[in-house]
Amino acid sequence: MAQAAAVGTAQQYNYDIVKKFAIMALVWGVLGMSVGTYIASELAFPFLNFDIPYITFGRLRPVHTTLVIFGFGGSALFATSYYVVQRTCQTRLWSDFLANFTFWGWQVGVAAGALSYMLGYSQGREYAEFEWPLDIAIAVVWVAYFVVYVQTLRRRSQPHIYVANWFYLAFILATALLHIFNNLAVPVDLFTLKSYSLFSGAQDAMTQWWYGHNAVGFFLTAAFLGMMYYFVPKQAGRPVYSYRLSIIHFWALIFLYMWVGTHHLHWTAIPDWTSTLAATFSILLLMPSWGGMINGIMTLSGAWDKLRSDPIMLFLITSLSFYGMSTFEGPMMSLKSVNALSHYTDWTVGHVHSGALGWVAMVSFGSMYHLIPRLYDTKIYSTRLIYVHFWLATIGIVLYITSMWVSGIGQGLLLRAFDEYGNLAYTFVESVAFMHIPLVVRALGGGFFVAGILTMAYNVTMTILRAKREQAEIEAKIAAKMAASA
Amino acid sequence: MSTDSNKPAVQTTGHAWDGDLQEYNNPLPRWWVWTFYATVVFAVVYWIMYPSWPVGKSFLGGVKTITFQTSSGQEVTTHWNMRARLLHDLQNGEEAVKQREYLEKIANSSFEEILSDPDKLAFVRSAGKVMFADNCAACHGAGGQGVIGLFPNLVDDAWLWGGTLEDIHTTISQGRRGYMPAFPQFAENGKVDNLADYVLSLSGEQGGDPVSIKKGEAIFQGEEGGCYYCHTKQATGMKSLGSANLTDKIWEIANVPGAKTYEEKRAEVRKVILGGIQREMPSWKGRLPDETIKILTVYVHELGGGK
Repeated sequence: MAQAAAVGTAQQYNYDIVKKFAIMALVWGVLGMSVGTYIASELAFPFLNFDIPYITFGRLRPVHTTLVIFGFGGSALFATSYYVVQRTCQTRLWSDFLANFTFWGWQVGVAAGALSYMLGYSQGREYAEFEWPLDIAIAVVWVAYFVVYVQTLRRRSQPHIYVANWFYLAFILATALLHIFNNLAVPVDLFTLKSYSLFSGAQDAMTQWWYGHNAVGFFLTAAFLGMMYYFVPKQAGRPVYSYRLSIIHFWALIFLYMWVGTHHLHWTAIPDWTSTLAATFSILLLMPSWGGMINGIMTLSGAWDKLRSDPIMLFLITSLSFYGMSTFEGPMMSLKSVNALSHYTDWTVGHVHSGALGWVAMVSFGSMYHLIPRLYDTKIYSTRLIYVHFWLATIGIVLYITSMWVSGIGQGLLLRAFDEYGNLAYTFVESVAFMHIPLVVRALGGGFFVAGILTMAYNVTMTILRAKREQAEIEAKIAAKMAASA
Repeated sequence: MSTDSNKPAVQTTGHAWDGDLQEYNNPLPRWWVWTFYATVVFAVVYWIMYPSWPVGKSFLGGVKTITFQTSSGQEVTTHWNMRARLLHDLQNGEEAVKQREYLEKIANSSFEEILSDPDKLAFVRSAGKVMFADNCAACHGAGGQGVIGLFPNLVDDAWLWGGTLEDIHTTISQGRRGYMPAFPQFAENGKVDNLADYVLSLSGEQGGDPVSIKKGEAIFQGEEGGCYYCHTKQATGMKSLGSANLTDKIWEIANVPGAKTYEEKRAEVRKVILGGIQREMPSWKGRLPDETIKILTVYVHELGGGK
């Protein structure tokens, strides 16, 4: 029976591709977060460079961001979007071949990118460091993703398209737009990796941050909201709180995000009016962002007891809380007066990580704990280890964010302090010395977070191994029965 | 779906996906809607106050104005903008005004007047600390202690280029190029050891062979080495060349104080004779404002053995 059901779903849906992406998400997550913890340690203890150029902060930093955003986050999004679109459209993913192409293309792209940064090849655009040949390859993979996704949606056997799919589709479309326009460049020649951006000066900076912030807005927010809209109500076993809210905040979010990138360039050589619009649209973005948080958290309304008994729910609800917190902090930091203090300090780094660790990683962990046992038609190896992971991750995030507040706000205040003569009260190097302890605590927080994902990797590995063993046992029993009856 | 007996007050939309996936149709939370409207009001007010929407080839400047002086002294009032704000702050900011008053006093005072006025001296110490740390400490160290062999110590009594205020001012303004030729030819026949023994004996280091010291002296004071051209016959050095005084027991290049045995001390001196010295301090005139150089002069003078 169990076997028949497993065969049934395996035929009905393409789970193979989801499994592959889910496992790679964990692999990249472990690697990317370990690299992050290492470079955090390098900042606290610079001797850890060991004078080896390949592992200096400047080269490993894009390796870290690429592995966690595109490797871990990207693979988690591929896995969940392919799962969600099949489940909510009740149809098999269109074209196994193209789906496999997106898998191999994406994995090779991420790996090649990371290696190229260690060798010193970088376009020098934050979160878009890939040199031009990789940019082109990624664009091709992304178009394939779009085609697979849309074709699957078109072949749905449900009359309505579930909300999670709107978010995933918006993410796919916007990412294509951002990636292509930000990477428009003229190669030096066909056989070099170097290229020159099509834009120059302030326009180039604004294009880059239009990309950079929408990488956060669409890749790291809209897409993960899609994940949230499926896995939160599924795990809670309750309907989504408000359909109306989901429509309104979806369109508001999509419309407003595109305007705000320039807030990364306050107080620089950009036109003042672009600065103002970026700041005000960031403020306007606050409530649309919170719409997603409300819809997720209120879905659990009436079933709060699940927080005591279900560690997956803990992950999901905590992720929404961090989402709410960082989408409040972001608009505040985009105000010019606050930005004058926070810009170029660790506060920015802390803010990014409250979103990246607190929201993106936590919602992914929760969703994967829901997803993986279902993919393998089994139960999770250890619920207790999910709790262990949850607390390791939460302690890690709290250490990370608080140390970066201390470091960043302290740094900002030291650099603008004056003495009674109107002279600067502190030197730059004194602000660096002040940051040492917070930087150590931050690295420690990263260590906790890595310990958490390692716990998850162990738990998931054991789950998969057990599923394989169970499968083998059932097959052996059936074979024995067949032999007996024969 | 929505027809079960204990249904909630709010209906679902009536759709279901993947078995049990449904949506309530709750109204938008009122506080959410009103807070959103509040952010809209905030944005509109902001747009009225500050430069905002592009119109044709220009943009709405906003009603908030800012006044500053141009470099020709003309007072200009314009719509708020970052550059005007910066100029305004530099001209009228509370800290800027305080600092400017002092800077003017410093600019109009001689070194002696600064040193004899506790208020001005206190300002120089406060301003110099950050100026020194941001511009000088990278080589000379946070406290001016230097790095033996590379960057001169500014807190001791030895001044290669002179330790008066005027000398220090010249050094900072124009930079210095410290040069001693290399003497690889003395590697043969132990001549470099003779020279090193002699040089160490000048500062009273015990342990050199008297015969060797005598030989070293002959090379130093004679035409074979010609060391006295720069270091003088008394070996006390010359300010005009930046050549070191070899008799004051202060070691800038050879790390004699850090060596334990006489043998190691001699090896340190030998390295300098065989390898020579090439050091450069950049010129700061033009890179730093004149008052800053003046402040740094007094600050460095005050660090230790200013003459």
